Amino acid sequence: MKAEEALDYVSLRLKAAGVEAFDAIAGESESAGLEVYEGKVKTTELNVSRGIGIRLFRDNHPGYAYCEKYSIEALDLTIAAALENSYLTGELHLRLPEPAALAGMEIHSYDPAIEEVTFEQMKKFCLELEQKAKTLDPRIKNIPYLGASRSTSRFIIRNSQGVHLEKKSASVSAGLGVVAHSGNNRKMGVYSNGARSFNFDSDYMAQTAAERAISLLDARPIPSGDYPVLLTNRVASQLFGMFSSIFFADLAQKGQSRLKDRLGDEIAVKDLNLVSDPFIPEAPGSMLFDGEGVPARKIQVIEDGRFVSFLHNLESAYRAEVEPTGNASRGYSGRVGTAFANLVVPVGQAKISDLQQMEKQVLQIEKLEGASGCSAVSGEISIGAQGFLWEHGRMVQPVDRITINGNFFDLLTSIHHYSDSYSDSFSSVKVPDLLVSGLKVAG
Amino acid sequence: MTEQQAHAILQAGADTGADLTEIFIEETRDSTITFRDQKIESAVSGLDYGIGLRLVYGTDILYTHTSNDDIEHLIRLIRNLASTRFGKTSARTVILPDVKNPGWRESAVRPGSQTIKAEFLRRADRIARSLSNRVVQVSAQILETNSLITLINSEGLYHTEERRRLRTHVSVTAEHLSERFVATEGPGYQGGLEVLERIDIEAVTRAAAERALLMLDAGYISGGNIPVVMGNGFGGVIFHEACGHPLETEAIRRTASPFTDKIGQQVAHESVTAIDDGTVDNAWGSIVRDDEGTLAQKTILIENGILKNYLSDRVGSKETGAPLSGSARRQSYRYAPVARMRNTYIAAGKHKFHDMIASVDYGLYAKKMGGGSVNPATGEFNFAVEEGYVIRNGVIAEPVRGASLIGRGHETLMRISMVSDDLELAAGTCGAASGYIPVTVGQPSLKVDSILVGGR
Repeated sequence: MKAEEALDYVSLRLKAAGVEAFDAIAGESESAGLEVYEGKVKTTELNVSRGIGIRLFRDNHPGYAYCEKYSIEALDLTIAAALENSYLTGELHLRLPEPAALAGMEIHSYDPAIEEVTFEQMKKFCLELEQKAKTLDPRIKNIPYLGASRSTSRFIIRNSQGVHLEKKSASVSAGLGVVAHSGNNRKMGVYSNGARSFNFDSDYMAQTAAERAISLLDARPIPSGDYPVLLTNRVASQLFGMFSSIFFADLAQKGQSRLKDRLGDEIAVKDLNLVSDPFIPEAPGSMLFDGEGVPARKIQVIEDGRFVSFLHNLESAYRAEVEPTGNASRGYSGRVGTAFANLVVPVGQAKISDLQQMEKQVLQIEKLEGASGCSAVSGEISIGAQGFLWEHGRMVQPVDRITINGNFFDLLTSIHHYSDSYSDSFSSVKVPDLLVSGLKVAG
Repeated sequence: MTEQQAHAILQAGADTGADLTEIFIEETRDSTITFRDQKIESAVSGLDYGIGLRLVYGTDILYTHTSNDDIEHLIRLIRNLASTRFGKTSARTVILPDVKNPGWRESAVRPGSQTIKAEFLRRADRIARSLSNRVVQVSAQILETNSLITLINSEGLYHTEERRRLRTHVSVTAEHLSERFVATEGPGYQGGLEVLERIDIEAVTRAAAERALLMLDAGYISGGNIPVVMGNGFGGVIFHEACGHPLETEAIRRTASPFTDKIGQQVAHESVTAIDDGTVDNAWGSIVRDDEGTLAQKTILIENGILKNYLSDRVGSKETGAPLSGSARRQSYRYAPVARMRNTYIAAGKHKFHDMIASVDYGLYAKKMGGGSVNPATGEFNFAVEEGYVIRNGVIAEPVRGASLIGRGHETLMRISMVSDDLELAAGTCGAASGYIPVTVGQPSLKVDSILVGGR
């Protein structure tokens, strides 16, 4: 049974069971990849996944179920489970979308050529990458992680109102982690990236990973205190990604965001703007419709420091009595959530080298270690970091074994300068380098 | 899958020269029921179904998975996968297992009554909200998974096993003057609905709520290198992340571990004995056999500070020389198995908790750890302290929030100076190369003489 046939069957059975409102999604993906270690392909994978997810409403009570087995028996069981679940849940009001025109944009999320990327191509690239990384510097002693992969996916959604939409996506990725030694010190440098075509620059990747390891080799802590902090574009993007859920209406409505009841307030410095942009060509967060079949649109979340819009799925929009923003996220096995399309903070005009010398001392954070000390509910930031200390525009030492501590909501009001560039990573979060104050450093 | 089909797949693998061909079939029924906003917010039922096929050539691994059990599709996947192999080998012989019960004997057991679970969750909400009007949200969840797995390999293995687990999470959010704090408890055990009888929902909810309320008004500790007393139970997450992962052959075979080539050497203070035990009765991280079919074992990792063993899978064992420890694990059919932890803990010592506290002039008592992460290659770790207290003049003083612990696992092991007698285990979920798996972490309270504490 194919996905379309399974969806046809589910739709018919739900209608026959008298279910008036439902949506059903099918997800399929295929991936192929390999890992290289010490000049040999050590692991090769070729994977195929698929599943059907059902959400139905029985007198406004939702029930969810999913299955990965495309048989009549399994689909019947799944429908029965969704119905049974609807007898447990509280009332949930929302309006499933009607068929609507999608934006006439080309977001270039799928190129069939990616399906033609062969294991041989990936192997050749990986071996070349390993060789280059290995010979760059004698301090590079080991390359424990190195690999490449390609993946394609297909998402279909149908609902009881007649929506029938499909999207495809394809991407490739490659990366490596190198370990550099200096005496008893070890540092790992990682570079990985994704793209819509298999056209990676092995020289650049090897050099970047090696530099990231070597440049931190003789790092040491700095005294605890207040430092102007330069969050590099990779780190700033990571932080905004960790705290992105504070802008989700469903979480605010459930008491999980301090932005509840703050719509219209100034929550950030006056020159901060933040958007959810679904139309950036080739970007991983780009889409024409969301996980509930609502047409995607560009949403200004923060405008000149003022909080102007939450991101909504159907449920939160109904509750807030606003139009959904097209930010529902959903996989076949889960319930509906909220997500940014691409989270974008516009660039400024300064070079990163300008930011490094704007204060007498600047602590540049290159790397965050884990995210467990960060809470989107409280806004708490308490996290290990590594980077460089700059004095009078000159780098004086690499830094490690420090923590940075503060609060994300305070951080939004303490951004002083933006650089003119984003990191080159294939990421749906784009934030430039930021010079901020107010973070405490412990070392 | 019939016996004939299983044999056809094993033969197809052997024909490509694979030393080992392995079939892993999984059918999992799961149910998740979530309570929030004083109502059952969602109830999700799932049927995960798929087949993982692994071909091992020496120490090279080829893996494929699919939910499509059509035999021609499976044979085609094997051949496509093998065609990527760079360097051909001749066909191997295969020992065809006696598949006594071809196909499914029965489907995996359906999860237990959702109605009983719903009432259990409502109780958590009532208990938390009765404690204070500062409790603004209670989110509680029960996740039950019942899996039927079958493992067949070209060495004649045929093994079926039912795996049942149930875990509950209770998260309480407290609010005061726009400050919010959320605290979570998450006990879990092997078994089905009967596990709910083992869980004291009142104690679990109170623990989460009281921590959220306490931390709401807590201040911050000044950061720096200071002595830390780590609380028992979930405090073991640090050993799990910072030492357990680097002791897995997955890290050792890539020489990406500070413990490579250290068997027999002192790697920890002599007061430290660390164990990974897959056989603890009904524990969250216990297994009968691992995901390669090896019987679970109790593995002494460190004994009185001396490194004794690594955690291994077949390929890791072959590459590093470590004996098989029955540690090959995977989240599901989507992952090839690799060596992972099961129930990992530091054994109880002889010290008393109050003596540890009394020995510290100024330091941190990290009563409850949050999550954390580690880079196995460098040993660098970072952990959040969910509930902490300043220790001042040998006495537990004011509560502090927002602290984190930074260090290198192998260095921190040497700085443990006192191990108490109050060992406790706690359920957790571990994410790594073969997905998210249930594990137990644990330790008695222990004192580290110096560790970097991040604060304000």
